[in-house]
Amino acid sequence: MPLGDFTPLLARPARAGRADGTGTAPPGRRRTGGLSAERLSPFVLIAPAVLVIVLFRLWPLLLGVNFSFTGDGERNGAAVGLDNYTELFADPLFLGALRNVGWLVLLLPIAVAIPGMLATFIYLHVPGHRFYRSVYFFPAVLSPVIVGSIFNLLLSFDGPVNSLLGLAGLGPVDWLGDSNVAMFTVVGVHVWATFGMSLVVFLSGFATLDPALLDAARSDGATLPQVIRHVIIPGLSRTIQFVFVTTMIGMLTSMFGLIYVMTSGGPGGSTYLPEYYIWIQQGQMNRPAFASAASTVLFLVMLVVGLAQVSFLRRTGKED
Amino acid sequence: MRGARISRWLIAGPMALLALATIYPLVFTANAAMKTRRDYILDRFAFADTLRWDNIATAWTTAGTARYFFNSVTVVAGAVALLLLFGSMAGFALSHLRFRGSRALMLGCLAALFVPFQVIMVPLVRTMADTGLVDTYPGLILAYVAQYLPFTIYLMASYYSAIPAEIVDAARIDGNTTYGVYRRIMLPMGRPALLSVGVLNALFCWNDVLIALLMMPSAEHRTLMVGVTSLRGQYSADIPTFASGVLIAAVPVLAVYLFFQRRIADAVTAGSTKG
Repeated sequence: MPLGDFTPLLARPARAGRADGTGTAPPGRRRTGGLSAERLSPFVLIAPAVLVIVLFRLWPLLLGVNFSFTGDGERNGAAVGLDNYTELFADPLFLGALRNVGWLVLLLPIAVAIPGMLATFIYLHVPGHRFYRSVYFFPAVLSPVIVGSIFNLLLSFDGPVNSLLGLAGLGPVDWLGDSNVAMFTVVGVHVWATFGMSLVVFLSGFATLDPALLDAARSDGATLPQVIRHVIIPGLSRTIQFVFVTTMIGMLTSMFGLIYVMTSGGPGGSTYLPEYYIWIQQGQMNRPAFASAASTVLFLVMLVVGLAQVSFLRRTGKED
Repeated sequence: MRGARISRWLIAGPMALLALATIYPLVFTANAAMKTRRDYILDRFAFADTLRWDNIATAWTTAGTARYFFNSVTVVAGAVALLLLFGSMAGFALSHLRFRGSRALMLGCLAALFVPFQVIMVPLVRTMADTGLVDTYPGLILAYVAQYLPFTIYLMASYYSAIPAEIVDAARIDGNTTYGVYRRIMLPMGRPALLSVGVLNALFCWNDVLIALLMMPSAEHRTLMVGVTSLRGQYSADIPTFASGVLIAAVPVLAVYLFFQRRIADAVTAGSTKG
């Protein structure tokens, strides 16, 4: 029985890297005409996926970068060089959005440390750890729209959170109306909604940790902070790295729903993030080329932040 | 571990409070949905004395919510079906078939995984508009498929690569073509992964608001999440009805979570630890 073009992955490791597309058919490819459908089968199986990804994901990326060097409105389609970028970096709203990205980077360690600590406690089997695992994870499945709507009710000026603060003798806080507070409120709600996701990732990282190390540390009389510092953090460095990067990407790309529902970028543009800025320029201002320039900048910011975090964590990981 | 028992209870206290903070916002919303406007304004915290469903009925019938709900169901069903089909086909080909360019294709998929939607959304919507796909169900379905397919392929390929090549060989010897192997071996054996990734994709699509806002501008095509944001304007003074709308959008998600908790967490971590 001829095997056609179908050869299991592991059986032919020598050819694994070949992607050069030279015309010579490898031996064993010569088939009678009736088998040509079989010969093409890998390509048939992969064609829909490749078409969708190339047409609606990779092609738009190139198109967008190209598009960002053209004009909007009456200069529609004309090459304008770096004009969009110059205008972008002169816009206080966009600069505010970038400043907010800076805040996110500063708040990031907290957003990683909370699920990390909780995962540690759950891993060390605090009473009720199974219950906590599923309860903490549950907001992660809710839509930002639902989360934002619920917190709009809770955080309104005469809402429940402020009446609780009132009971404790603290004055009401204008959570969403004060431009110095609103960004932190939105980030706080985002952390509320997503820490369960990182927690579950941490827990799966703990599953790979050698329990013998913990026992050894314990029998040497290590305290909990010492165990965390010398066993858990080095042992989970890959997981920590992963959570850092995904949390940052999450903050940069999945807060649109919250901002849209909770503040619409306000008050006074204080809760703008680049993604919201792009949406406003594209949807409300009808400036797609200009929005593309902002997209390109967001992409570069994410690339830089991601690479910087990976290399930073690599270095600290090596010191341990 | 025994010596640490007391401190473990000290940790458990704050953890219980946090669990309460996680659950309570939803309890508050559900409770608000069960009250009259008067009761809500008089006392936000008190539990509703009777379960009143008329706010839910109002939110469902008068605000177009029913229509948005079915728009969402249509789009999610279409997107998940295509994601599972394309994802399992490509995942099988990339994990068990050797062909020219397969490595490059796998790398391309992984690269696409790291392109956020915000970066491509402007040109994507233009492309969709040029092809007449904006404001149509197939257009939004395709946008979701494009968005979540790299992740689906990646998970399916890593799941399938754990299936031993010998099983596939045996099926070939029994006279199956590649398509037969896909249909008779890979689809049935991949059921656990298909279920996990299907549930996760359904949640992603159901919960999305940005792609839906861009791709479905007209009111009649709104998805439920976009509908909820418009409810807020309509019922800003009628919190119980607004809370009912939020609840209608959240209940399917909660049901899915209760049924498939483990699978969702597994799919999330399967995508993470190997990444």
